[in-house]
Amino acid sequence: MEPPAEVVHWLFGTGFVFLGLCLLAETIVGHEVWRRRSWRAYVWPAVAFLMGIAMWPVMVFYTSSAIHMLAHGVWAQAMMIAGAAQLGLVRGKLRSSLWELTMPLAFAVSGAAFLIHEQNPWLFSRAAFLHHALGWTALAGALITIARFVRPRSPVFNTGFALIFLAVATLLFCDRNVAPIFGHLSPLAGGR
Amino acid sequence: MRPRALAAAAIVALALPATALAHANLLQRVPNFSARLASSPPAVSLRFDQGVDVFSDSIQVRSSTGKLVSAGPAHAVDGKQVATVPLQRLPKGAYTVRWHVTSFEGHVLSGVYTFGVRVVPPPPTEAYGSAGPTTFEYIVKWGYFLGLALVVGGLAFRLLVVGRRSTPAVDRRFYLVATVGVVASIELGILGFLLRARDAFQLPLGRLVYGDLSPLAQGTRFGTAFIFMTLGFALIAAILFLAWLTDRPVLLWPALAFGLFLISGLSLSGHSAVETGSSWRTELADWVHLSAACIWVGGLAQLAFVVWPAAPALRREAFLRFSQLAGGVVGLMVVAGAYLAYVRLPQASDLWQERYGKVLLLKSGLVALALSWGALHHFVVRPALQQGRGTGSRAISRSLLGESAVAMAVLLVAAVLVDANPPPRPEKQPTRAAVIR
Repeated sequence: MEPPAEVVHWLFGTGFVFLGLCLLAETIVGHEVWRRRSWRAYVWPAVAFLMGIAMWPVMVFYTSSAIHMLAHGVWAQAMMIAGAAQLGLVRGKLRSSLWELTMPLAFAVSGAAFLIHEQNPWLFSRAAFLHHALGWTALAGALITIARFVRPRSPVFNTGFALIFLAVATLLFCDRNVAPIFGHLSPLAGGR
Repeated sequence: MRPRALAAAAIVALALPATALAHANLLQRVPNFSARLASSPPAVSLRFDQGVDVFSDSIQVRSSTGKLVSAGPAHAVDGKQVATVPLQRLPKGAYTVRWHVTSFEGHVLSGVYTFGVRVVPPPPTEAYGSAGPTTFEYIVKWGYFLGLALVVGGLAFRLLVVGRRSTPAVDRRFYLVATVGVVASIELGILGFLLRARDAFQLPLGRLVYGDLSPLAQGTRFGTAFIFMTLGFALIAAILFLAWLTDRPVLLWPALAFGLFLISGLSLSGHSAVETGSSWRTELADWVHLSAACIWVGGLAQLAFVVWPAAPALRREAFLRFSQLAGGVVGLMVVAGAYLAYVRLPQASDLWQERYGKVLLLKSGLVALALSWGALHHFVVRPALQQGRGTGSRAISRSLLGESAVAMAVLLVAAVLVDANPPPRPEKQPTRAAVIR
């Protein structure tokens, strides 16, 4: 009944592509132009929040190991909290700019979940490589979003913020048994 | 030309399939979990999506008395993707399979499940070797009930008692308390599921992380309730957030309806749904009992922690309106509880002889204390407030906190009670006519 795990990863990858492209577009055209239509300000936080909600079914239906279940639960909550805080800020319900720090927190927690979840070194297998790459990408995302919090108008940090989501999407497209990026991998890779 | 070439290369790369090694996953169990077999199976086999290391004790099959029934060591076949163990000829009964293998990426995967030969097997949570709930599990379940009460009771209080009289300060506290409730329900629900899994697996947490939880999640009522409640609370969290974000309290109505619906899931996963003598009446009574308790406890918490400190002007009206609501829900709770006690305890002596009866007696004592406290509020505080006296009284505030504490203690005993099995119903004696025939 459940779709294959790789398909679920690609669906979330698609969500991250959309998120990253929205942020990149905002950086390219500028904050003021992007927000000429007020609804645009809600787009990427709402997508992040909805992706958090959509992660819950993944958590409860893919229970082949406890650590996967817990990791997906962490990602669900991280995305919901970060998206909700951004929506609250955009709407004016939250006033303190400190709420912006929920985003680096979400990245840090998500990255840690990836790294704890993978117990093997980088080159042990393709899955190990991807888990490490995703974990460190998310931790880099945490640093970039902290820098963006300090200098919110910086085009470098805003571009970096958008590119982090695109990088996460690319890695998600590479993950699992049948991956649409990076071509064929020997079935012996990672074996003993 | 160059951008076109790059785009074409990207499209080709995206279109090409590839294989990659992820964690080993269990694809198939033979016999499957919860299977009821007509005859003894020759072996237990587990098929994985990649090769695994199998040891001689990797699969252990035990009868309901704990006797090992394997006929040889476990070994790998089919390119190490299948772990299998031969079995002796199994007599009628329930069997527990405990397995552990090491995947090529180094993780120790493990699992537990049950199957039956000519009998319906028990759920994996009652597999041979599992010890039952611990004190910590009771405390977690108590927190879970408390979270449920804070959400459902809080929503009922906000909609039925406060209504349009709400102020920004009240709303701020209401959303805070409801959020605490919904987060507690989600987190403690997950923790409770893991604790139950640890008991079934009989493994330390470090090894449980690669445990296959699917037989528990998909093969037990407890697991179904876990899935249903986790998804439900995530949705309630989203609706609560939307109501807060858009300042539309009308959205709280679907959240309340959904919360009450979720309580039915709790009823269906509890003993009321599986014990002998259960029927749609007992399940309905269980749902009414739980819903009424949640509205009562959650409403008390809202009165004590939200309205009293945040809105002095609202105290009198909120107290009087909640008093009316509480009278109705407590009445429903007591009637439904009394009916369930009547159904579950075949003899009055079960109350002091059986564990279930003793816990029920303790719970009834606490409920009686809470009801006396409520009666004091109804017959002493209510008339005073109706006459416009006492809204600034600290004694009332402390008294409300006291009643809330007793109500929360009732939930703690309820957490113990839901895991206690009611005494079995005595077999019906054949009638004299049947004996003669």
